[in-house]
Amino acid sequence: MMSIYLFWRQPSQMVDKKRMKTSDFRWLLSKFVLLYLMVQVTGALRDLKCTTNNLKVWDCSWKAGFESVIDEVCIEDRSYSCHQVEKTNIKIPALPPGDHVMTVKSSHSPANSLSKFILNEKNVSFIPDTPEILSFSADFPTSTLSLEWNDKGSAFPYHVNVTWEIKILRTERRELIKLETYNTNLNGKDRVHQWSWASDLPLECATHYVSIRCYIDYLHFSGHKEWSDWSQMKKIPWSPNSQTKVFPQDKVVLVGSDIIFCCISQSKVLVAQIGSTLCPLIHLDEKNVAIKIRNISVSENSGTNVIFTTDDNVYGTVIFAGYPPDIPQKLNCETHDLKEIVCTWNPGRPTGLVGPRNTNYTLFESFSRKYVTFKRAETFINESYQLFFQILPDQEIYNFTLHAQNPLGKSESAQLVNIMERVSPHTPTSLKVKDINSTAVILSWHLPGNFAQINLLCQIEINKANSKQELQNATIKGAKNADYLIDVNKLNPYTKYTFRIRCSAETFWKWSKWSNAKQHLTKEAIPSKGPDIWREWSSDGRNLVIYWKPLSINDANGKILSYNVSCSSHEETQFLSEVLDPQHKAELPLSKRDCIISVVAKNSAGSSPPSKIPTIEIPNDDLKVEEVVGIGKKILLSWHHNPNMTCDYVIKWCNSSRSEHCLMDWKKVSSNSTETIIESDQFRSGIRYHFFLYGCRNQGYQLLRSIIGYIEELAPIVAPNFTVEDTSSDSILVKWEDIPVEELRGFLRGYLFYFQKGEKDTSKMRGLEPVGRSDIKIKNITDISQKTLRIADLQGKTSYRLVLQAYTDGGVGPKKSMFVVTKENSVGLIIAILIPVAVAVIVGVVTSILCYRKREWIKETFYPDIPNPENCKALQFQKSVCEGSNALKTLEMNPCTPNNVEVLETRAAPKIEDTEIISPVAERPEEGSNTEPENHVVVSYCPPIIEEEIPNPVVDEAGGTSQVIYIDVQSMYQPQAKPEEEQDIDPVVGPGYKPQMRLPINSTLEETAAEDDIDKTAGYRPQANVNTWNLVSPDSPRSTDSNSEVVSFGSPCSINSRQFLIPPKDEDSPKSNGAGWSFTNFFQNKPND
Amino acid sequence: PAPICFLGLLLPPLNPAAPISPAEPISQAYSLALYMQKNTSTLLQTYLQYQGSPFSDPGFSAPELQLSSLPPAAVSFKTWHALEDGERLNRAQGAFLALTQHLQLVGDDQNDLNPGSPILLAQLGAARLRAQGLLGNMAAIMAALGLPVPPEEDTLGVVPFGASAFERKCRGYVVTREYGHWTDRAVRDLALLKAKYPA
Repeated sequence: MMSIYLFWRQPSQMVDKKRMKTSDFRWLLSKFVLLYLMVQVTGALRDLKCTTNNLKVWDCSWKAGFESVIDEVCIEDRSYSCHQVEKTNIKIPALPPGDHVMTVKSSHSPANSLSKFILNEKNVSFIPDTPEILSFSADFPTSTLSLEWNDKGSAFPYHVNVTWEIKILRTERRELIKLETYNTNLNGKDRVHQWSWASDLPLECATHYVSIRCYIDYLHFSGHKEWSDWSQMKKIPWSPNSQTKVFPQDKVVLVGSDIIFCCISQSKVLVAQIGSTLCPLIHLDEKNVAIKIRNISVSENSGTNVIFTTDDNVYGTVIFAGYPPDIPQKLNCETHDLKEIVCTWNPGRPTGLVGPRNTNYTLFESFSRKYVTFKRAETFINESYQLFFQILPDQEIYNFTLHAQNPLGKSESAQLVNIMERVSPHTPTSLKVKDINSTAVILSWHLPGNFAQINLLCQIEINKANSKQELQNATIKGAKNADYLIDVNKLNPYTKYTFRIRCSAETFWKWSKWSNAKQHLTKEAIPSKGPDIWREWSSDGRNLVIYWKPLSINDANGKILSYNVSCSSHEETQFLSEVLDPQHKAELPLSKRDCIISVVAKNSAGSSPPSKIPTIEIPNDDLKVEEVVGIGKKILLSWHHNPNMTCDYVIKWCNSSRSEHCLMDWKKVSSNSTETIIESDQFRSGIRYHFFLYGCRNQGYQLLRSIIGYIEELAPIVAPNFTVEDTSSDSILVKWEDIPVEELRGFLRGYLFYFQKGEKDTSKMRGLEPVGRSDIKIKNITDISQKTLRIADLQGKTSYRLVLQAYTDGGVGPKKSMFVVTKENSVGLIIAILIPVAVAVIVGVVTSILCYRKREWIKETFYPDIPNPENCKALQFQKSVCEGSNALKTLEMNPCTPNNVEVLETRAAPKIEDTEIISPVAERPEEGSNTEPENHVVVSYCPPIIEEEIPNPVVDEAGGTSQVIYIDVQSMYQPQAKPEEEQDIDPVVGPGYKPQMRLPINSTLEETAAEDDIDKTAGYRPQANVNTWNLVSPDSPRSTDSNSEVVSFGSPCSINSRQFLIPPKDEDSPKSNGAGWSFTNFFQNKPND
Repeated sequence: PAPICFLGLLLPPLNPAAPISPAEPISQAYSLALYMQKNTSTLLQTYLQYQGSPFSDPGFSAPELQLSSLPPAAVSFKTWHALEDGERLNRAQGAFLALTQHLQLVGDDQNDLNPGSPILLAQLGAARLRAQGLLGNMAAIMAALGLPVPPEEDTLGVVPFGASAFERKCRGYVVTREYGHWTDRAVRDLALLKAKYPA
């Protein structure tokens, strides 16, 4: 059966069986079918497999069916070769592409079989040798594992890509934690490869294992390429002998990273925590544990603590989580003194790391290749770091790079500067000021620095009180650590200045800071002009008072010490007086009336030019007083140009209420001007000022105009005093006085005079207003010289109220009022009596004559001797009655329906009063007859002035003494003014109804006041004083003017009812003038009154 | 008054003159110890506050932490009471000598860990100076009592330089804690001596 023997020279090598690729499946299938058939035919051989590990030698193996011995293997190559073999495999050199027939003869098999296989490269598997690890080491501080192996590239003398696969296993449980693919190529030589990997778990905490395999991707090999076997494992054992128990120690990590801590412990770890946060434990070998921190946050200065607690101890470590250095920001290099360069920068985002972990800065200059290092001890100024770099001689351009580095990383920032253009000098010091003269000073200051190569630009700030600050620039040649000088001109004498200075280089980069300010008072100079002077003769005309105004600060040029006054005439100059400064006038007896007064002001630097003024006052007869009113707190004066006036004009003014020689102020105006505006803080509204305009001629001043005026006119504060000079029955003559100037407060423009019927106390008068009252007459007196006024066309025996007001352009002053009663009109009275008498006589005479003439007819008609029965009306009378004839109505007894029914009850008094007001006349007699007389008080109205009084015979039980008073109206008023004062002197003597406002007030005092006083006493008062009411019996004479609508009658409650004893519209009724009237009192007296 | 008195005591009166009355140095040392006692808890709290959680957590305590180079202050009352004056002073002297060196070490440690905390550094420095002052006072007492003053020795050795940050923090904690305990014990020691040697 074993008929095929294969002989092979090469040493055999066992190769793993590999599956065929599926793409070759069809082909394989056919071959296997063939092999199977052949095996079937020949007996025993099957499963031929060929592999290679170096592409040079194929190792083919097969399985023998029985215990057959193969004697010879022959391969049909270019040359047919046969090999004697005794095993079931054979190594043959790699065959060229294409099918080759391999014949295996088995000599010992029963059938002496011969097996044929088809060999092709496509059926050969390429399995590289297992890699061999040269070394596997660990760097514990960095937790880094390093692996070295040889690629044995010499086995492949051509370029081949290799993929290595490395796996890292951890703990005794061999947990796979890393599978890394690593690509290289082989180039015909043996090479050692290195691969390192940083473990997240510190290596001290667990055993780490490594293994490697490879895959060689040889493109020209058409067979199957397969991974090599995994290499033997190498391990790094954890180190239980280490003193530290927790790993890693003092590690610096980036914020946000994940980190694992582990603890080697002999006893069980109970708790692990980072800060105060507990963490779940990850168990490692033995009792070792680890914790994993994700996204760690930035640590505080001393780091974040990680602590493992066991039964008997605590173990811990500190982790520093921070950031790599930010790019240094705002790097700026400049020099203050051209000796050293100062580079400042802002570190940017804080790293969160301090101490030895803090950022190190190195400033490197690339041209000189010098550098300076930032020391941690150098504290930074407001978040800004700085480094000093010495300026090198003959180098102007510097290329700086600032390197920042910390354990987490590095960054840098660069700047290229021409240092000559980056000069920012130090603050100037020792600023001093020296006087040159009164208008110029020298400033000196010190500026440290080596500025010999450049010019400095300095700026001087000059500050003067109440003035805008001034800046002066100056360019100065630079020097080394020098004091610099500069002149400052055009200053004002005797003025306090404040100087400051700052400097920069001429090629401007930055100003230095301002130096300290230096105050300086410039020297005094002589006053630039003499004082403004004026003179007045004293009231007695003997002394001359010389006034002058203090010089302004600008003119004084120093502190004025004194003023010299002298008098010069044609012949000589006479020194009069020296006046010390705060005084600004001199009163001097003057022997000569004609001289020129001159005044000079003196300060420590000298005397001012003299101010001169002639003493002579040229008289002016042609003067009249003019008036002026100011506009907006100013007064505008203008005058005509006068060519005679050669020097100047002077306007002086004073308060007109002062004496003639008063002087408030003056103002000088040049001779060619014709107007001026006068302003003064002293001006007040409503005050009259007197302005005098003087013109100056050669020899002296002449008063040209005299003007009175107001800054602003106001209304008078008092009313004119006026009196009634005379009264007649139809006219009143009023006379008034002037208002004093102080109270007038403006130019008097006229008077307003109102008059009106009325008397004091009546409500109608109280509200007297000139507007809207038809019965008020107004006279506007615009002629202010008029001091009297006759008011005509008045009614006789009538009370009038007179009111007088003064007014100015500023308004109308207060009112003053007075009540006057006109005298009785006797002619009218006589006429009023005579006409009715005459009419009655005439009627009587005519009647008598007619009766006499017709006496026969009358007798015949009315008194016939024999009466005619036909004319007997008596007979018709009954008939008419029966017929209801209306002809004889007077005899009809129709039921009388009262239009008003009064039910009088004791407690319903107010209602009764109302009723009475509604229908006062018609019903009063009726009611009077129906009510009990003793329950009613008759209230009498009487005018204020009682000429005679008639005791009331009727005594009321309830009211006590009641009176009925008849008063002669004509005698009620005195013709003279101030009638009020005489009225109501005694409330008992002058009883009668009074409005409640006035009842118990002490009348004597109040009557002197004007109408306003009535209001002052306002307020309710019960009309308690019933004793003053006059009680009259119901039978008292009734007023005949029952039709008068004006008639009112008293009511205990009514204020308004006190009204008119003289009805205004009933002027023709003589009866109304006859007497004061009273009426029967229907009203019950209130018992409680 | 305490700072003034301890400034005077900074100069160790090692003058081997005839023993003077021990009452005065005992009184001075006692005053200083009382003054130190007022500040020990502040020092410990300040120290812990700067070490981060859990050191800075309220109520932090780790009595199991000890330093081999620093003798513990805890002692049984009986043992303590049975000590002779010289031995008592010797132990305190030794402890404060160790404390001054340890406080210097802790100050250096904190200069790295908390460079931006002048308050802590100042308090550590002040504590060290006071411990030195107390050492001087004790030497004066021993001189007054005629006891041999022990020589200064290096209690720290070479051990601590490679310490990790966590060890430094713990070391500082033990030192500041033991400083308080030893100060308390010194107050008791000196009170006992004061009673024995009244002025």
